[in-house]
Amino acid sequence: MTSGHAPHETPEMRLGHDLVRAFAHLPRERAAEEIATHIAKFWEPRMRHALMAQIRRGNTDLHPLLVRSAEHFVDGDIDRGEVREPSGG
Amino acid sequence: MSIAAETDYGTPAVAARTDVTVTIDGHGVTVPAGTSVLRAAAEAGIGIPKLCATDSLAAFGSCRLCLVEVEGGRGTPAACTTPCADGMVVATDTDDVRALRRGVMELYLSDHPEDCAGCARGTCEIQALAVRTGVAEVRYGRGGANHLAEDRDESNPYFAYDPAACIVCSRCVRACEQIQGTFALTVSGRGFGSRITPGATDFLASECVSCGACVQACPTEALTETSLVALGMPTRTVLTTCAYCGVGCSFKAEVQGAGPDTRVVRMTPWKDGGANAGHSCVKGRFAYGYAAHPDRQLRPMVRNSIDDPWQEVSWDEAITRVAEGMRGIQERHGVGAIGGISSSRCTNEEVYLVQKMVRAAFGNNNVDTCARVCHSPTGYGLNHAFGTSAGTQDFASVEQADVILLIGANPTDAHPVFASRMKRRLREGGQIIVADPRRIDLVRSPHVEAAYHLPVRPGTNVAFVNAMAHVIVTEELHDVTFLRERCEEVEEFLHFIVRPENSPEATAAETGIDADQLRCAARLYASAGNAAIYYGLGVTEHSQGSTMVMGMANLAMITGNIGREGVGVNPLRGQNNVQGSCDMGSFPHELPGYRHVSRPEVREIYESLWGVTIQPTPGLRIPNMFDSALGHSFLGLYVQGEDIAQSDPNTQHVEAALRSMELVVVQDLFLNETARFAHIFLPGTSFLEKDGTFTNAERRLNRVRPVMPSLVGKDEWQVVCEIATAMGYPMSYADPAAIMDEIAATTPTFAGVSFARLDAEGSMQWPVTEAAPHGTPTMHVGGFVRGRGRLTQTVYVPTTEPTTRRYPLILTTGRILTQYNVGAQTRRTPNSTWHPEDILEIHPSDAQMRGISSGDVVALSSRVGTTNLTALVSDRMQPGVVYTTFHHPVTGANVVTTENSDWATNCPEYKVTAVQVTVATEATRAAYAGREAAVRG
Repeated sequence: MTSGHAPHETPEMRLGHDLVRAFAHLPRERAAEEIATHIAKFWEPRMRHALMAQIRRGNTDLHPLLVRSAEHFVDGDIDRGEVREPSGG
Repeated sequence: MSIAAETDYGTPAVAARTDVTVTIDGHGVTVPAGTSVLRAAAEAGIGIPKLCATDSLAAFGSCRLCLVEVEGGRGTPAACTTPCADGMVVATDTDDVRALRRGVMELYLSDHPEDCAGCARGTCEIQALAVRTGVAEVRYGRGGANHLAEDRDESNPYFAYDPAACIVCSRCVRACEQIQGTFALTVSGRGFGSRITPGATDFLASECVSCGACVQACPTEALTETSLVALGMPTRTVLTTCAYCGVGCSFKAEVQGAGPDTRVVRMTPWKDGGANAGHSCVKGRFAYGYAAHPDRQLRPMVRNSIDDPWQEVSWDEAITRVAEGMRGIQERHGVGAIGGISSSRCTNEEVYLVQKMVRAAFGNNNVDTCARVCHSPTGYGLNHAFGTSAGTQDFASVEQADVILLIGANPTDAHPVFASRMKRRLREGGQIIVADPRRIDLVRSPHVEAAYHLPVRPGTNVAFVNAMAHVIVTEELHDVTFLRERCEEVEEFLHFIVRPENSPEATAAETGIDADQLRCAARLYASAGNAAIYYGLGVTEHSQGSTMVMGMANLAMITGNIGREGVGVNPLRGQNNVQGSCDMGSFPHELPGYRHVSRPEVREIYESLWGVTIQPTPGLRIPNMFDSALGHSFLGLYVQGEDIAQSDPNTQHVEAALRSMELVVVQDLFLNETARFAHIFLPGTSFLEKDGTFTNAERRLNRVRPVMPSLVGKDEWQVVCEIATAMGYPMSYADPAAIMDEIAATTPTFAGVSFARLDAEGSMQWPVTEAAPHGTPTMHVGGFVRGRGRLTQTVYVPTTEPTTRRYPLILTTGRILTQYNVGAQTRRTPNSTWHPEDILEIHPSDAQMRGISSGDVVALSSRVGTTNLTALVSDRMQPGVVYTTFHHPVTGANVVTTENSDWATNCPEYKVTAVQVTVATEATRAAYAGREAAVRG
C-alpha cells in the first residue's frame, strides 16, 4: 500500500480526510466550518450519515478536525451563505 | 438545404480604420484600406478568374489569371496582390486581359488530364475556368512534357493526391502553413519539375496531420476526399456541429439521399463557424464513419442477468422494463437507490431532460455527468474566483494575446483547431510559456518555440502556480490598482503568497522546475500587455485540481489579466458539450444555471413548472454512486452515452460496483464496456441524427441539426421522456426547440436563447440576456459576475499518491490526435491507422535501467492493477514520469489509476499514479490475456 490513505478507510473517511488536508492550513474553527460547509453543500445525506455513524462508534482513525467539523452539521449550525452560492463542480 | 455555396472573396478580409473607394468595371465599391482589388471586385459581385487565390490564405500572385488593368498604371497587375487605392479605376475584362488569361489557361490545360473526374464533378476549377476564359483547344497540344503519368499517393485513408491534376498553385502548402501551422507540405524542385510533396515520403508517413486544410484549399482534383471519389457528389448540405472535442467546430454535412437512406459524402468545415472559422481536424473532418458502423446496436435489448445473452425487444418492452425495474428498486431500497449519468456527447436538450427525469421522476438528485471526471474542478474553481463556471474568453481572444501561459494541455493533439489559431498567433510574435511534464509539440515545432518550458512534475501544479505568483508579488509586478478596484481578500492573499515556502527556490525540489527559469517565466507573464492562461486536464485531474484552478485565477487577477480581449483563464474543455452538460444542471447539487438545490426560490421555479417536489439536499456524484453500490444502497443506474467502465478510474472498483447493482441501463451507440454489466441496452443516436445544441469551451451555443432521422426509431430525448412517463411522471415535448424554450424560461443566463435566434445569429455565447442580447464573448468586463474577484490562499498539499521504491515512477495519461477519449467513435474509423493501440512513453534513462526498448511489451503496475502496453522510449518524457493514453479498452489505462480525487469535486487524479514498469513476463502476459478475453467477449 503506497497511498497516503489508510487501507481500511471507508469512502466517507477518505473523502473527509481529503477535506481535512485541503483546509488544514486554516485556524481550527475556521477549517472545521469550511469542511462542514463543503459537506453540507456537496455530500448526499447518506454519506453524512455514514460519517456520523463512524463518529458515534468512536472510530479513532478519524482526524479530530473532521470530527469537529461534523459537530457543526450535527448541531445544524452550518447555515452559511456559501452553501447556497453557485459552485459548479 | 441544397448545397450551401460559400463565396470565396479571393483574399482575406482586412481590418482598417479607413475606407477607400474604387471603381471596378464601372461599379463603385468602398472597402477597408488594404483590401485587394480581387476582394473588392468580389464584394461588388464581379468575379475575377483565379486559381492560386482563396480568401483563407494570404495573396500569393502566382497563377496569373486574375490580371487586371488599372487606369494610369503600367502593365496588368494581379488583382490578388494589388491593394485598392482611393479613386483607383480598374478594368477586369478587357481584350488584353482576356487574351492573357486564355494564354495562361492553355498552359494549364496542356498539362491537365482530359478525363479529369473533378472537372466532370465540378469540384475541379480548371474546366470551368477554361470555359469562362474561352479556351476551346490547346494550341500547344498535349504531347509534350507533362505530369499526367505520375503516381497517385493514396496512402492516406481519407484523401488522395493526384499529381497529374496538380497545378502547383501552392494553396495546399500555404494552407498547411497559414491555417494548420504544421508545415508538412512543400514544393520540391524548380520550374517544370516543381511538385507538391509531403517531404521525402508519402502522406501517411509524413508530418501531415490530416486536418483537411490542403484538401479544402485545393482548386483542382489533385487533393480529393476518398469518400467523394467513392460516393460522388453530394446533393444537399446540413449545417451542424462536430461531436468530438470542446472546440465545437461548425461543419457542412454534405450528403446524398434522404430519410434513413441518407449517406454522408463528406464533412467540410463551415467558413462562418464561430469556433473554427473554416478549419477542421482529422477527427471532425474525416472520422464520422462510426455513425454508420455495423457495430451500432439499433434495437433495444434486455437480459435478466449480465451473464445471460442479450435479447432484442421492442422499445415499449424495454422502456417498461426500465421503469418497472427502477420503481421496484425504489420500493425495496428507497427513493435514493437509483440515479442517472448524462453525457457530454449529448445535446443540451438531452442532458437537461436526463436531470429533469432524475429530479422529477426518480425523485432525487442522484444525477451526475462525465464532467465529474474531467473539468468539474474548472466549474468549482472559476465559480469560486469569478462567479461563473466557465472560461472567460472566446477563442478569437488568443489573437490579441501577447503571452500565452499553457498549463497541462496539449492542444495540438486534443484541441487541434484551436491549436492552429494559437500557433498562428505565435508565428505573428506572441510568446508561449509551456508548463507540462512532457515536451509537447508547442514547446518546439516548426515556427513555434516556447519562451520557456517548465517541466512541472505531476501533482505539484499548485506549488508551481504559487511560485509564479510569489515572484510577481515579491518583485512588485502585480497590478495594485486592479486588485484594489476589482478583487477581495487581497491582503490575506498577498500575505500568504510572499511566504518563503512559496518561492521558486523553495518549491523547486517538489516541482522539478529550475527556479531561475520560473522567475523569468513569471516576469514574462506579468509584464505582457495581454497575458492569457489556457489549460486542460493536466490541471484539473489532480487531488488539488480545484485549488490549481483558483491558483490560475489568482495569477490572472494579480496581474489584471481579466476582463478584456487577449487575457483570461481559459479551460480547453474535453468533450463537445461538457460545458453545456454542466450548464444544464447535471451536477447532483445544482439545478440548471449552477443554482444550488438548497435554494428554495430556485426549487420553486422548477417545482411549479414540473409539478413535483425537488429534494433540497445534494445527490450522489459518480464515485459516490460506485461506493454506495458497493455499500448496497444504490442499485439502479441509467447511463447515457458514457462508458464508465473504461473511462473512470480504478476499473476493478468500477466493475465491482456495476456488478453489484440490480439494474444497469446503458443508452449508447455501441455495446461499450459498461454494457458488459448492463441489464437493458437502449440504442442511442449519433450527432448526425440529433436535433439540438452543443455548448463549446467558449460558452458558444451551436446548433446541431439532424442530417438524417434517428436510425433507432426514436430520438434520445424522446426515450428519456418515455422512461419518465412510464415511471408515472408524464413528460413530453413537441420538439427539442420546446425543450430549449423551457431552459431559457427557467435559467437566467440562457434567457435570450432559442433555436430561432440561434438559426438567425449562427451561434451565441452565454450569458444571453436582455443586457447582452447577442451573447457575451468576453466575461467579467468592468466587474466580476460575483461582484469582486476572490483571491484564495492556495496552499500546496502534496498528493497522497507518492512514489515509492515499489512504484517509483509517476504515470500521467492523456489523448493523442487521432483518437478520442475511450475510442468508441474513433476506433471505428480509419483513424486507428495512426494509433492502433495505446503506447507507454518512457524516458531513455528509465527505459535503460529496466532493459526496455521501443516496441517491447511492458507491464505497467500500480497498487490497484496491472496492464500490458507497448513501450516507446522518448526523450519527450522527463525522467521518472511515464505517459499513456486511454483510448483502447484492452490495454485499459484505468486498470492502474486509483480512486484518489480532487478534494472539492472528486475529479479523479488521473494525472498522478505511482507505477512500476517492467518487461512483461509470462505472468503479466497471462493476466493481460485474461482481461483481453473479457473485453473482447
